[in-house]
Amino acid sequence: MRGETPAEAGERPSAHSSRRATTVAAPEPGDRVRRARKSSNARIVRWAGVLPFFAYTAVFLLFPTVELMVKSFKGSSGQFTWANVSQLFQGDFASAYVTSIEVSAITAVAGGLLGLFIAYAAVHGRLPAFIRPLLSTFSGVAANFAGIPLAFAFIATLGPTGVITSVLNGAGFHIYNHGFSIFSITGLSLTYVYFQFPLMILIISPSLEGLRAEWREAAQNLGATPAQYWRHVGLPILLPALLGATVLLFGNAFSAYATPYALSGGYINLVPVRIGAILSGNVIVPNPQLGDALAFGMIVIVAAAVSVYVLLQRRAAKWLQ
Amino acid sequence: MSEPFHPADEHEAPGISRRELLRYSGFGAAALVSFPSLARLLDASSKSPLAAVTSSLPTSLGSGGLPALIKAAKQEGKLNVIALPPNWANYGQIISTFHAKYGLTVNSAAPNDSSAQENTAIQTLKGQSRGPDVVDVSPAIAVSGVTDGLYAPYKVATWSTIPASMKEPSGLWYGDYYGVISFGTNMNVQKTPPQDWSDLLNARYHAQVAIDGDPRTAGDAFAAVYAASLANGGSLDDIEPGINFFAKLKKAGNFVPADALPANIAKGSTPIAIIWDYLNLANKVQFAGNPAYTVSIPKTGVYGGYYAQAISKYAPNPMAARLWEEFIYSDAGQLLYLAGFTHPARYADMAARNVIPASLAAKLPPASEYKGIQFASLSQIAAASKVITAQWGPKVAGS
Amino acid sequence: MAAVTAARPVRARRRRPSLWALFWLLAGALYFLVPLYSVAQFSLETGAHRYGFHWYAQIFSDPSFRSSFLLSLRLAVETVAISFVLMVPTVYWVHLRLPKLRPTMDMIAVLPFVVPPVALVVGLSGLFSALPSLLASSQILALMYVILALPFTYRSLDAGMRAIDVKTLTEASQSVGSPGWKTLLFVIVPNIRSAMLSAAFLTLAIVMGEYTISSLLLFNTFAVYIYYIGNTEAYQAAALAIISFVLTWGAMMGIFFVSRLAGGRESVQIGGTR
Repeated sequence: MRGETPAEAGERPSAHSSRRATTVAAPEPGDRVRRARKSSNARIVRWAGVLPFFAYTAVFLLFPTVELMVKSFKGSSGQFTWANVSQLFQGDFASAYVTSIEVSAITAVAGGLLGLFIAYAAVHGRLPAFIRPLLSTFSGVAANFAGIPLAFAFIATLGPTGVITSVLNGAGFHIYNHGFSIFSITGLSLTYVYFQFPLMILIISPSLEGLRAEWREAAQNLGATPAQYWRHVGLPILLPALLGATVLLFGNAFSAYATPYALSGGYINLVPVRIGAILSGNVIVPNPQLGDALAFGMIVIVAAAVSVYVLLQRRAAKWLQ
Repeated sequence: MSEPFHPADEHEAPGISRRELLRYSGFGAAALVSFPSLARLLDASSKSPLAAVTSSLPTSLGSGGLPALIKAAKQEGKLNVIALPPNWANYGQIISTFHAKYGLTVNSAAPNDSSAQENTAIQTLKGQSRGPDVVDVSPAIAVSGVTDGLYAPYKVATWSTIPASMKEPSGLWYGDYYGVISFGTNMNVQKTPPQDWSDLLNARYHAQVAIDGDPRTAGDAFAAVYAASLANGGSLDDIEPGINFFAKLKKAGNFVPADALPANIAKGSTPIAIIWDYLNLANKVQFAGNPAYTVSIPKTGVYGGYYAQAISKYAPNPMAARLWEEFIYSDAGQLLYLAGFTHPARYADMAARNVIPASLAAKLPPASEYKGIQFASLSQIAAASKVITAQWGPKVAGS
Repeated sequence: MAAVTAARPVRARRRRPSLWALFWLLAGALYFLVPLYSVAQFSLETGAHRYGFHWYAQIFSDPSFRSSFLLSLRLAVETVAISFVLMVPTVYWVHLRLPKLRPTMDMIAVLPFVVPPVALVVGLSGLFSALPSLLASSQILALMYVILALPFTYRSLDAGMRAIDVKTLTEASQSVGSPGWKTLLFVIVPNIRSAMLSAAFLTLAIVMGEYTISSLLLFNTFAVYIYYIGNTEAYQAAALAIISFVLTWGAMMGIFFVSRLAGGRESVQIGGTR
C-alpha cells in the first residue's frame, strides 16, 4: 500500500517545487506560518500544471457550452423561457432520449466486450508480434469509419438485398421474415458496434499490456484459479480503465449523427438526428434555442453517465481492497 | 510477490480546500461571463464601417447598366460561392462559364452544406474575406435569413419575368430553378417501373421504395411526402394524407428507410427513388446504363419545389455577387440550369419567347407531364413542416 | 504449497497461440472485413459483369481529392502535436498531483460529444469577431479538432498512465535529480508509448473524418470531399471509401513506424515480480 499521499508528495522537496527542506524539529508558530505559506505556494504550483488545459478548454469548449446552456432558456427575442426545455419531456423528444440512451448503452457494452476480448487475444494470446500494430491501425481506421460509407456497407451486407441476407436466404434462413431489419434498433446497433469495438481495442490495449503475463503465471504457480486471478489481480487493475472506456463508448454512440442518418434517415428516433433537423436542415425554420435545449438535455444525460462512472469507480475501489 | 500497485486515486488526499475550489471556480466563472461582453464590445466596434458600406450598395442595375457592374466586379476579382455541388443543377458548368466569361476567380466551398448551414456560414464568416457572397437556399431557410437580416436586396434586370410566387417582393431572395418529385427506377432490379403513386403499394415493390432521407431534414424528402399528399386526397394546405400514404407504404413492407443516394440506388438497396426530377435525370446520365435507369413524372401529385438565390449582406465581393445574379438570370444562365435538368425560374417567359432550343428541352420529360404542377406558398410550407414534424415520427418512423 | 506442475520442461516464451485468442481475432477480422467486402466489390463494377479500377482512377485524377486529403492530413498532424503538448503533461499532472480533479476531467472530456459542432462554431463567434485572423486560415480547425479529439486523447492517456506506476517512476527520476520536464519526456512518455499511439491514431481518424465544422467554416477538407462524392456519385463513392480506408490506415502505419524509430526500446518495468 502506498504510504504517502499525492498531496504530501507535492510538499516534499523536489526539483520543481520549493527547494526549502521540510522542518523536522518541533513546530514553532513561525514554522506554522511558513508551512502554511509554503503549502499554499505548493498548491498554486500544483494548479499551475493544469492551467494550460483549463485555459484552452475554457475558450474552445466550456464557453460555447455555457452559452449553449444559457440559450436553452431563451426565446427568440432573448427573453427567459421554459418553453424549449419543457418540450424535451414531451412525447416525441422524450422517446428520442430514451431510444438514444438505449442504443448507446447497448452498443457501449456489446462493443466494449467484443473489443475487450479481441484486445486481450492480441495482447495475451501469444499471437505473432505483427498482429498488435496491425490490429491497432485497423482499429484506428474502423473507429472512425462512420457516416455514409458505413451505412452503405451495412445496407449492402445486411439490407433486404444484402450479401449476407442473400446467403442466409439461400440457406433457408430468411432473416427478414423472422423480424430482423437493418433499419431497426438491432440493425443500427450492429452498425454502431462496427466503430465501437475498435475504439475499445485502442483504449484498453495499454491497460492490458500493463497486466503482466508473469503475474498470471505467478498466480497460477501459487495455486490460484483463473477466477481468483481476475478477482484479485486482473480486475482491480483493469476496472477503472474499463469503466472509463465504456463511458467513452457511450458518449461516442450517443452523439452519432451521420451514420444513423445515412442508414435510415429519421427512422430511428435519435436526439442528434432531431437536433440536425432543427439546426442544420432544409425544411424546418431553424430554432437555435430549441436545438440548444436538446443538446443541453444530452449534456445532462452524459453528465449523469460520468457520475455513475465515478461512483462505480469508488465503489469498486472499496470492494476490491 | 509484491502487491500490484494501486492507482493514486484510491487514497484521496485532502488536496484542495473547498474555499479554494470556490475561489478558483469563481475566477473561472467571472472570466466566462466577462468574455462574451468583451467579445460583443469588440464585435460592435468592428460592425459600423461595414454597415456604412452595405447601405450604399446598388439594389439593381444602375445608370451604367451591365458594363459598369462588370467593371466594378472585375475590380473585386473573385466570387465566393457555397453549397453548389458541380453535378447539382449543372452548377459545375454554370460556375466555369461565369469564370470564362468575366475572368473572376470563383471559390466554391462546402458543396454539401444544407440551407441552414449556409445561413450559419454567413453569420460566422461575417467580415471575413472568405465569407460567402451568394447563397442558394430552400424557401423556409430564405425566410429565416430575412428574419435574421442576412441578405441584401437586389433586383436583377429580368426581375419582372420571375414568377411572383417565387420571389420576395423587395428583392431579398428570388427563386432560381425548380423541379418536381419524380420516380426513378433501377431497371436491373425492377423491370416494371411505377407510373403513379397508387402503383407503389403493389407487392412487387416490396422493400424497394425510398425517399431522400428524413422529410423533417431534407427538402426533397419533404417534397415527396407533399406530392404523395396531393395524389391521395390532400392539398397544399394538408400534408397529412401524404404522411398517411407513407405509413401505408411502410405497413405494406414496400418502404425502405435508407437514403436514396446514387450509390444505394445503383447497388439496388433503394431501387425506386422518389426524389427531384433533376437529381433522377442526373443519376441516369451518371449511371450510363450501369444500371439501366428510368425516370418518370407521376401522373398525379405533381409537386414543384424551388430553391432561392440571395446575396449576403456581408458579402466580401458585393459587386461580383450582383454580377453573378445578373448572369444566372440572363437567358444564357437560365439555359445552363436547363442543361442540368432543372426548370429555370424564368422557364415560362423564355418558352413564350421561343428562346429555348428544342434539343435542350427534349432532354427533360415533355411539358405536358408538368401541367398539373403545384407550388406551395411560404405559409403553406411553414404549416406543413409543423405537421410533418409532429406526425412523421409517430406514424411512419420505426421503433 | 505450490502444486508441482507437469513434468514438461518450462519452455521459452514462444508457446503456441491460444485457440481462444485465435477465435476472437478471427471474429474481429470478420466483423471488420465483411461489410467492407460489399463496398469493395461495388467499387470495382465498371459495367454489367465487368470489373476494373476505372472509378479509382477517376478519384485519383480529381485535383480536389489530393488537395482535400493533404489538407486533412496536415491538420491531423498538427492536431496530434497540439493534443500531445496540451494533454500529456496535463494527464500526468492530474495523476501525480491532483487526483481529485479526475471527475472534473472526466466530465470535461465527454463534453465534446454532446455539444453539437454547430453550437461550438456559433459559440465561438464572439472569439472570431474579436480575432478575425483566426478564421482566415485553416489553423483554426486544428485548434478546434483538439477539442473534438479530447475524449479519445484523454481516455487513452488516462488509461496509459494508470497502467504504469507514475509515482514511483517520477520519484526514481527525481531522486537522480532530473527536473520535471525531463522526467516527463524521458521517463514517462516512453512508458505510455502505446497509449500515445492509440491517441494519435484516434485523433488522426477523427480529423480525417470531421465534416461539420470544416463545412461550416468553409474549408474543403477530406471529409467534405467524401460527403460530396457520397451524395452525388455512385461507384466513385465506394471507391473513395476504400481509398480513404487504405490511406488513413497507411498514415497510421507511418505514425507507428516513426514512433518505433523515435525510441522504441522496451518500456521500463516497475513493480514487477520481486
